[in-house]
Amino acid sequence: MIDWQAFALTLKLATVTTAILLVIAVPLSALLVLGKSRWLALLEALTALPLVLPPTVLGFFLLVLLGLRTSVGRGIAAILGHPLAFSFEGLVVGSVIYSLPFAVQPIVAGFSAVESSLIDAARLLGAGPPRLVWSLLVPLARRSILAAAVLGFLHTVGEFGVVLMLGGDIPGATRTLSIVLYNQVENFDYAAANRTAALLLGLSIIALAAIYIGGRWRGARDA
Amino acid sequence: MLKQFLAIAFGLSCVPVVLAQASLRVAAAADLEPVLPRILAQFQQSSGIRAEVTYQASAALAAQIQNGAPFDLFLSADMRYPKRLIDAGLADAAGSADSTTPIIYAKGTLVLWARKDSRLAAPSVELLRDPGLRRLAIANPDRAPYGRAAVAAMTSLKLYDSLRPRFVTAENIAQAAQFVDSGNADAGLISLTSALTPHLEASGRYFIIPRDLYPPIEQGAVIVSRTAQRAAVHKLLDFLLSPAVQAQLSRAGLTSVQEK
Repeated sequence: MIDWQAFALTLKLATVTTAILLVIAVPLSALLVLGKSRWLALLEALTALPLVLPPTVLGFFLLVLLGLRTSVGRGIAAILGHPLAFSFEGLVVGSVIYSLPFAVQPIVAGFSAVESSLIDAARLLGAGPPRLVWSLLVPLARRSILAAAVLGFLHTVGEFGVVLMLGGDIPGATRTLSIVLYNQVENFDYAAANRTAALLLGLSIIALAAIYIGGRWRGARDA
Repeated sequence: MLKQFLAIAFGLSCVPVVLAQASLRVAAAADLEPVLPRILAQFQQSSGIRAEVTYQASAALAAQIQNGAPFDLFLSADMRYPKRLIDAGLADAAGSADSTTPIIYAKGTLVLWARKDSRLAAPSVELLRDPGLRRLAIANPDRAPYGRAAVAAMTSLKLYDSLRPRFVTAENIAQAAQFVDSGNADAGLISLTSALTPHLEASGRYFIIPRDLYPPIEQGAVIVSRTAQRAAVHKLLDFLLSPAVQAQLSRAGLTSVQEK
């Protein structure tokens, strides 16, 4: 049997995470590319850090940070009415942090590839930073932004360690497909594990192919 | 120059081979991690045989042995996984009374654990009935022996259905303890071996779940049949079952095999 509840939850988690990632990553990348301060190098390094930590360790840190023993955790619990761990919202927070480098890196690369003469021209014509980003960088780097969305989405679909540590395996709230798949493998239910893995792989292939076909078609039209 | 290099390379390549011949490879359930290192150090002193241990969930170790992992002895946290290996013809209990039943080397004890600074009452059966208990951490009952025991105990208390929506399921008892220790769950059903580790003993309190509420958590050992060091494996098994070592197990939170 395929766990459709987990399937729907995984899609929901990946969609919400991707939307939040783009909202954060576009201005952040613009700041990193357009900003002049030396401290931005440190900020850029910080955004790449989730790549270094093993996901279960990252999940463990989040578990402790969001727990009721820290003021951060107590503050969040006071606002939400429940602790962030073991909840869908908690997984969203974990996923956004975990996938942030996968969204920021392509967008930074895309923005950096925009010719500086165009940026200078826009500035001379009076465009402030928001206009510069929205009307110049974003349209020119749209394929990079698309790539960032795809990577962020797929990375969240396949996310395991953070969910394992932070989720508590609650059906409908935190039991994602990757957790279902892991449980099936650990329980020696290889037939079910094969079906779940096939679903994950099939979903990803279809999504990727659709996006790349779209990209090629547009690329051909632009040329 | 090249000759010297080759000589050194050859010398280095021999070292691991020599070590591998002299040491046993033990696959041990994660709940033994607080106990086993000291026991194996004593074993090495008395027998001269070194044992290297890999600690993991029993299910993961069983899957690894099924797929050819080079272990000599498997110390599981339950009877199910060693039995499965025996049935698959990959392991045995040769030398014991019944070679097709895993050798019971210890029994586990289930406790209810909570932090000392918990807003709820100290752990007891009453705590499980407390509506203020919002999150109860358990190990995954599909594969973790203590998770199965936890479900059995709650079922005996007729609390399973009311507590079930409040479960947070951890991968193993260590993670269940983390859920509670980090303040994210109010209490957890974990092993006494975990509750007696220095960190958890300092930060929390435990209540021993009455043993008549769940079937005994029998921990079984099997010899991986491919082993080339059967004699050494038997020496280690005899050592584990000796009264002195069994007494140490009791102090660390396991019940010795002799106790009923």
